[in-house]
Amino acid sequence: MPIIEVTGVSKTYHDAATDRVVRTLDKISIAVEENDFLILLGPSGCGKSTLLNIIAGLVPYDQDGGRVLVAGKAVTGPNPKLIAYMFQDPVLYPWRTVLKNVEFGLEAQEIDKTQRRERALKYLRLVGLEEFAEAYPRQLSGGMAQRVALCRALALETDIILMDEPFAALDEQSRILLGDELVSIWRRVRRTIVFVTHSLTEAVYLGQHIAVFTARPGRIKLDIANDLPRPRAIGAAEFNQMVDRVWQQLKGESQAASASGKKAAREEILLPKE
Amino acid sequence: MRKLSPVLARVTLVVVLLALWEILTRLSSVSAILIVAPTTILWQMVQILVRTSNVPDFYTNAWLTIVEILIAFGFAAVVGVLTGMAVASSKAIGDAFEPILLVLYAIPKIILYPVIVLMIGTGPATKIVFGVFVGIFVIIFNTAAGLRQVEPDYRRLAHSLGYRGAKIFFKVELPAAAQTILAGLRLGFGYTIIGVLTGELLLVNAGLGYVIDWASVNYYTAQLYALIVITLAIGVVANYVVGLLERRWVR
Repeated sequence: MPIIEVTGVSKTYHDAATDRVVRTLDKISIAVEENDFLILLGPSGCGKSTLLNIIAGLVPYDQDGGRVLVAGKAVTGPNPKLIAYMFQDPVLYPWRTVLKNVEFGLEAQEIDKTQRRERALKYLRLVGLEEFAEAYPRQLSGGMAQRVALCRALALETDIILMDEPFAALDEQSRILLGDELVSIWRRVRRTIVFVTHSLTEAVYLGQHIAVFTARPGRIKLDIANDLPRPRAIGAAEFNQMVDRVWQQLKGESQAASASGKKAAREEILLPKE
Repeated sequence: MRKLSPVLARVTLVVVLLALWEILTRLSSVSAILIVAPTTILWQMVQILVRTSNVPDFYTNAWLTIVEILIAFGFAAVVGVLTGMAVASSKAIGDAFEPILLVLYAIPKIILYPVIVLMIGTGPATKIVFGVFVGIFVIIFNTAAGLRQVEPDYRRLAHSLGYRGAKIFFKVELPAAAQTILAGLRLGFGYTIIGVLTGELLLVNAGLGYVIDWASVNYYTAQLYALIVITLAIGVVANYVVGLLERRWVR
């Protein structure tokens, strides 16, 4: 049984600026198996982040028959015992130390102090930041800060980790290194990861499955199984073939997205207000 | 050239100015009613503090002023911060009531002083109310601004981790806004002192403002300077204490 099951989910919202109803997801369906590393790949504005937010319970979806099941239960709100969520920015609280930031999620679950500390330190060790436990976020580089954010997500020890372009703001080297770490952690601790990105290379480098989105309103166009052996080598022939294969699927959608960006002004992708 | 030590430079400047002041006062024939030498002021301060000067009831008056300032600031801080929170809590409340606060903030408060005296009388309460009135607005606005500037991602993160309502407020929003709120409290404290002392100088019946006025109208220039220095010292010490508390809270 898939651990995440999205069936016929749509998302429309009222855009106050244009006073129009905008549909970002259109009857989308996707199933994620346990321990999968699924990439949601699509042109910008296709609703992939919205879908992630809906699965996380951070954003409501249209009540028109669609449903989202996580571990067999309908999603009604954030469920940090089951789902950890990672943002594009590290979002570390500057008044808390690194350790206290990692502990923040555990505090909400009222896990006792020593246990909290131990668990936070365990994951800081895992990403090699133990010695920065008492440092403050301002003392960290961008890559280190995002590692701390990863720790905070891992420390929840949830079955599912949702990641919304978590490495997009980093430089390329940090991005690859963090990706390597993420993959090695994923292979060791076996969690289900859903990872949003708009980088083809990142998608092929990290994912077991790659779900390619259509341009807005988003649907899943194709689910590509990526069985390249790990560790993967960026630039190797079979890696490039896979990138090319994904790109063939994505290309048209990217073109459609940039075209509809222009069309948006002409209200083509906007539905009339009901 | 060796590097200039800021502290040394500062102390040197002050010492030189005081020495000039001392020498010029001693050498010139300007009346002691107009200006007195720093050493004279210092001596007068000692006399005031050991109660051998002719300043009437110095400690009673100084204590009264300190109490008035503390009560006024305590009230301004509590009501100011709570009002700021209320104003920032929803856009509707902010839109509805903030313009009133802005108008009150903009008017020169001193013109309302006669009205306050008429309504409340000439006791300490009048000075306290005026102190609150002068000090509270910057506290309200800083609190509201601090809370509004909290990054939306800070809340989203807490939300995703299962925090809600009051817990998000106390664990995330308040610490995130603390620096701005404290800056407002510090400014508000300064304004409250100004308000209370202004009230005393206008009412002239009790407090440090009263004894300063007494020294002034009686041409006790040495006492006047000494009292001003003492008042400034109280202000500096109080500001330092508030600063300490601030650092302790923010870390």
